[in-house]
Amino acid sequence: MPGQAPKLYSIKKTTVAFAVASVFLLISLVWMVLQDSTREWKGWQRKFMELSRQKASAELEAAGKAVDTAKLAELTKQIEAARTQSKAHSDEITRVKKEIAKADVDTLKARAHYQDLKQFQDSDRYFLEEYRAHHEDEQAKAYEALLAHRGPEFSKAKADLESLEAAREGLQAKLEKFTGAEETARREAAKLTQAKTLLEKKVKKLTFDWMQMILNAPMLDFIRPSLQIQQIVLENLYDDYYFNKTQKVDRCVTCHLGIDQKGFEDAPQPFRTHPRPELFLAADSPHPLEEIGCTVCHGGSGHSASFVTAAHTPRDKKQAEAWEKKYHWHPMKHWSEKMLPLNHAEASCAKCHAGQAEMPEAPKLSQGRKLAETFGCFACHKVDGFERWKVGPNLKHVQSKLEQDWIIRWLQNPKEFRPSTKMPRIFHLRNTSDPGSASKNDAAIAAIAAYLMKNSEPIALDNPPAAGDPQKGEALVKELGCLGCHSAAGVSANHHGPELSGLGSKVKAEWLYTWLKDPKRYHTETRMPSLRLSDEEASHITSYLLSLRNEKFESIELPHVKPEVVEQMALNFMTTTKRQVEAKAELEKMSEEDRLEYLGGKMIGQQGCFGCHDIKGFENAKQIGTELSEEGSKDVEKLFFGFVPLEHTRQSWFFQKLKEPRIFDDGKELPYFEKLRMPQFDFTDEQADALVTFLLSLQKTVIPEAMQNRLDLREQQIEAGRLIVAQFHCQGCHTLDGKVGAVREIFEDKGKAPPILTGEGKKVQSPWLYKFLSGPTTIRPWLTYRMPTFGFDHAKLTELVQYFNNLDQVPPAFVHEGVVPSTEEELQSGGKLFQMFQCIKCHKSNPEPGLSASFLAPDLAVARERLRPDWVLEWLKDPQTLQEGTMMPTFFSEGQSPVPDIFEGDAAKQIKAIRDYLWIFNPEAVSSGAPSAKGTQTPASAASSSATA
Amino acid sequence: MIEAFKHGVNAFCNPTSIFSAAVALFALMMAFPAFFVSTPAALVLAFLTLGFFGVGLTDEHFRTIVTTPDNVPIVGMLFIFGYFTWFALRKAVENDKRIAAGQPTLEKAEAEEKVMVFPYLIYIEFVAALFYSIILVLWSIFLKAPLEDTANPSISPNPSKAPWYFLGLQEMLVYYDPWIAGVLLPTFIILGLCAIPYIDNDPKTSGFYSFKERRRGIILFLFGFWILWVLLIIIGTFLRGPNWNFFGPFETWDVHKLVPLMNVNLSDYVFVKTLGMGLPKAWYLREMPGFILLTLYFWLPVTLLRRTVFKKYYESLGATRYVIYMILFLTMFSLPIKMYLRWAFNLKYIVAIPEFFFNI
Repeated sequence: MPGQAPKLYSIKKTTVAFAVASVFLLISLVWMVLQDSTREWKGWQRKFMELSRQKASAELEAAGKAVDTAKLAELTKQIEAARTQSKAHSDEITRVKKEIAKADVDTLKARAHYQDLKQFQDSDRYFLEEYRAHHEDEQAKAYEALLAHRGPEFSKAKADLESLEAAREGLQAKLEKFTGAEETARREAAKLTQAKTLLEKKVKKLTFDWMQMILNAPMLDFIRPSLQIQQIVLENLYDDYYFNKTQKVDRCVTCHLGIDQKGFEDAPQPFRTHPRPELFLAADSPHPLEEIGCTVCHGGSGHSASFVTAAHTPRDKKQAEAWEKKYHWHPMKHWSEKMLPLNHAEASCAKCHAGQAEMPEAPKLSQGRKLAETFGCFACHKVDGFERWKVGPNLKHVQSKLEQDWIIRWLQNPKEFRPSTKMPRIFHLRNTSDPGSASKNDAAIAAIAAYLMKNSEPIALDNPPAAGDPQKGEALVKELGCLGCHSAAGVSANHHGPELSGLGSKVKAEWLYTWLKDPKRYHTETRMPSLRLSDEEASHITSYLLSLRNEKFESIELPHVKPEVVEQMALNFMTTTKRQVEAKAELEKMSEEDRLEYLGGKMIGQQGCFGCHDIKGFENAKQIGTELSEEGSKDVEKLFFGFVPLEHTRQSWFFQKLKEPRIFDDGKELPYFEKLRMPQFDFTDEQADALVTFLLSLQKTVIPEAMQNRLDLREQQIEAGRLIVAQFHCQGCHTLDGKVGAVREIFEDKGKAPPILTGEGKKVQSPWLYKFLSGPTTIRPWLTYRMPTFGFDHAKLTELVQYFNNLDQVPPAFVHEGVVPSTEEELQSGGKLFQMFQCIKCHKSNPEPGLSASFLAPDLAVARERLRPDWVLEWLKDPQTLQEGTMMPTFFSEGQSPVPDIFEGDAAKQIKAIRDYLWIFNPEAVSSGAPSAKGTQTPASAASSSATA
Repeated sequence: MIEAFKHGVNAFCNPTSIFSAAVALFALMMAFPAFFVSTPAALVLAFLTLGFFGVGLTDEHFRTIVTTPDNVPIVGMLFIFGYFTWFALRKAVENDKRIAAGQPTLEKAEAEEKVMVFPYLIYIEFVAALFYSIILVLWSIFLKAPLEDTANPSISPNPSKAPWYFLGLQEMLVYYDPWIAGVLLPTFIILGLCAIPYIDNDPKTSGFYSFKERRRGIILFLFGFWILWVLLIIIGTFLRGPNWNFFGPFETWDVHKLVPLMNVNLSDYVFVKTLGMGLPKAWYLREMPGFILLTLYFWLPVTLLRRTVFKKYYESLGATRYVIYMILFLTMFSLPIKMYLRWAFNLKYIVAIPEFFFNI
């Protein structure tokens, strides 16, 4: 039939087509299988095997060298000798071995017989019990008979087995008599080479042989492949796929094989050991690999087992190029949770460690947070968990402080006046530099200045009593403690407050004088404390600060403001709520000055000046910036890149925004009021980078609460205290909480530097500390620096006292601790020792002349109010352990008293006596030569007065 | 040169010109089928299409869109559709010639030779299945599954596109309300396709292809298939970008592209622009012009054509079938008409009753 229809059917054609199809199908199938089984991670696992093998080989070589060859040789000799010895008894040995073999067979049979019988006995006993319980007596009886019948046979089987076993043991002992020495020597030798043998096995296991090749072959690799995907399943962590939460699975360890193993610290990636295993990954570290995994901190796709799909993110362009070459890397398009580049990895710390002001192990994130606070990011941007506070000065009474012209010059470019200022530049930036915008900028600046002046409430100012002496003023600035916050007079140890330069070109004399005397009068919320200056001191400092001028700034020409521009801008604001005609009519009615003020108010609202400054009329204004609470996980598509050729990642956008905030307006046609408003802070690259880390850390919490680092009450109180310490810059002067006081570096004689506060919580009594912080009194009369009066309220004072107590693990309790000398003898000896050790020589309110500051010590008159009794004991015992480098002599070195005749030289008793004496000590009595303190206070009354304190 | 070509193509590409050009080309093909089915014409057409793709692939954007794993089959489908349409028309034209010359049709000539299904046909089918398997295996090797990001209910992909076979419907949504584009028209398409053998039960050309004898049927069907279905799929797949904006094939899909939207309802045209009075308060008065227009559209052609052009046809069909035929016919053509009204007059809705969400 095919022959009849050649047009419809041709054997040849069909067969050829079939042949071609079969060949191609085979090829494509093989291709498919190969493609499917060739995986990136298999290559890495092979490479790691090779690397481990090399490492093990090297270790093996070292182990080989480490073997005690002399001892080994001796043991070999011993083995040889033992062998020759046993050869003499070879017949005997053969005979015994044969007997053992026979005995083994017999025992085996006997044991089998015994076990069979035991099975029957157990089974019969079960039935017997069952039937008896069901009162089926006949059956029960039958089983009872069976058991009884088998009983003797069973006991005999057991006895037989035991005797056979005993015989077997005897034979073994006989054999060992001949071969024991050899065996012992052999065991010794094996112990000697044990490490080597283990390594040999390891190397063999790591060598890729044909057996492994078969087990890893495509299609066969389901049996027991040596190359396998490795994964960590995290019990308490979940991946959120929006409709479904799945347990987090991290397969990173499939390639990062050496990540938790020691010895790969210098291996090439991906095999390198994780840095700082004591902090990360180790089972006993705070972040064990099995519980935390990888992607929680690093981000990326944990399920993926290839370089690209794991969503690795390069640190910079250079790395990106290197990766493109090496791994064919490209950014993962369809995976929003990309890995954090390593330089921003600290951002993830915030996922669990929220609520901590500073994280010492995450310096970059801490720096970023601090910068965000310092530069007032939260003034415009709402961020959950961060308090909004006014970074800039209060402007409600600005008229008494500044001239209008100064404000205009300042707003043009604040850095012209003071390069170190935190105030960003707001006008005349990249997107407002065209001539049209420039004239609008000038009008806006003039308008803001006019508004501020008009809306400033007058404040009562004092005049300096007499013209001060600038030189004395400069000396006072250096001596009194201004440098604890400000950099001034050529010294810059601190940058907490504004740099004190050019003030003569800025502020009015009465204002400065009043401000120095009582900062809170001008601004109740100010952080500037009072140094309790006398009128004279204040006027000296005033005249010094006013002598500093910035002439270049003063000579800046004031821009000419065109009234029509002001009108145009005012109209623009007015038409948002009114019709054009009405707005125009209303503007007509206004004077030029009123228009300027109106525009100023609107501009302040538009630019958000009130975010940092208190300004009248803006008490309840809302922040103008975007909320940043979840900025770190914001969809990249929602960031506006405009026409800026920039990598489409969050970090590159953040960085660009921080460095040049207005750049995204490039190439856009926008009306003046719709342009980007974020001001120019002139961050350095390093600052911007730290801020990027901070921004990336702002993410929605996905970690279950139980896994987060929850602060307990003590830690919370410490954190609250740290916040105050940072705000009021205690560490500008004092060494505290692990940070060295910044001003210490400018003191040559460290004895004159403000005291070190490490251990203060243990040292001083809480009620005293509370009182001292609310109103400082002199403790160390030789110090020129003054502890300022900060004017803390009750809440802050309490928090600070709790902070100090908690830092030293002392339970915070506002109870005065008193001491009652127990015996008259104790009291007497206390006074004696006090004289003997000449305590008063250094510890007094008016120090003896000739002693250098390092030898001066706090006035003991206040000790009983101030110090904790237990601390005094510790202190007297060994001052150096409490405060290294202190000039306080160690009288009781190594627990030995130098005075043998009091309390028979018992150091502990003597120390207690001195301490108790301190609590009734009266300095006047001592200086007048009276040996006893009895006249001033009896022990009992001292105790009772303490208890009421 | 190539840049100029791309710019030219992009400038030409807007819904109006593409649609009009396609209609014009279709009309030419139907007017001169013999020319289009000739081998040289086919070669030129194939060369032009392939050349366009060849040049296009040098463009990054075009390449991304065309080689996206979801879109590759659509490209393949276009060529396959083209080929089969051409092949069937070619046979039809050949048969017309043969009938004119008094020769038997191709199908008749072929029918005289016969082979058994088993083993001959089965064998060929088996070989075809092998080739199919090869294609599928190679496909799976070269094109990875087009998986995207995990579905996030708070972020919808932009553009959000239906599966390719629904892109024609999605394109209709630009011009019609969902209840028409998504419910009424698809129902009519299915019912209409089912109704074809009952409306046209003329056994005249049974068993062979012919163009001359079945001109009306072929033109109607191919217009519906190629212009109102495949062309809309092409537009929806390749030319609709973010925010369902229209983009030329060599234009980058910019999310921020803004085009003016200024569509106006018929009632505004009548009462505001023409009569200069306000819109009537009651919806039935306000939408009266639209209702009148619709009534005229579905009534006038039926009665007029019955007496003129379709007189003979009406007689052969009878009243019922004629009315059904005309309703389907008019509904089908309402789509291009509405499209042109939108393009020419920015007409939004003919009837717009937001009071109870009824728009036409």
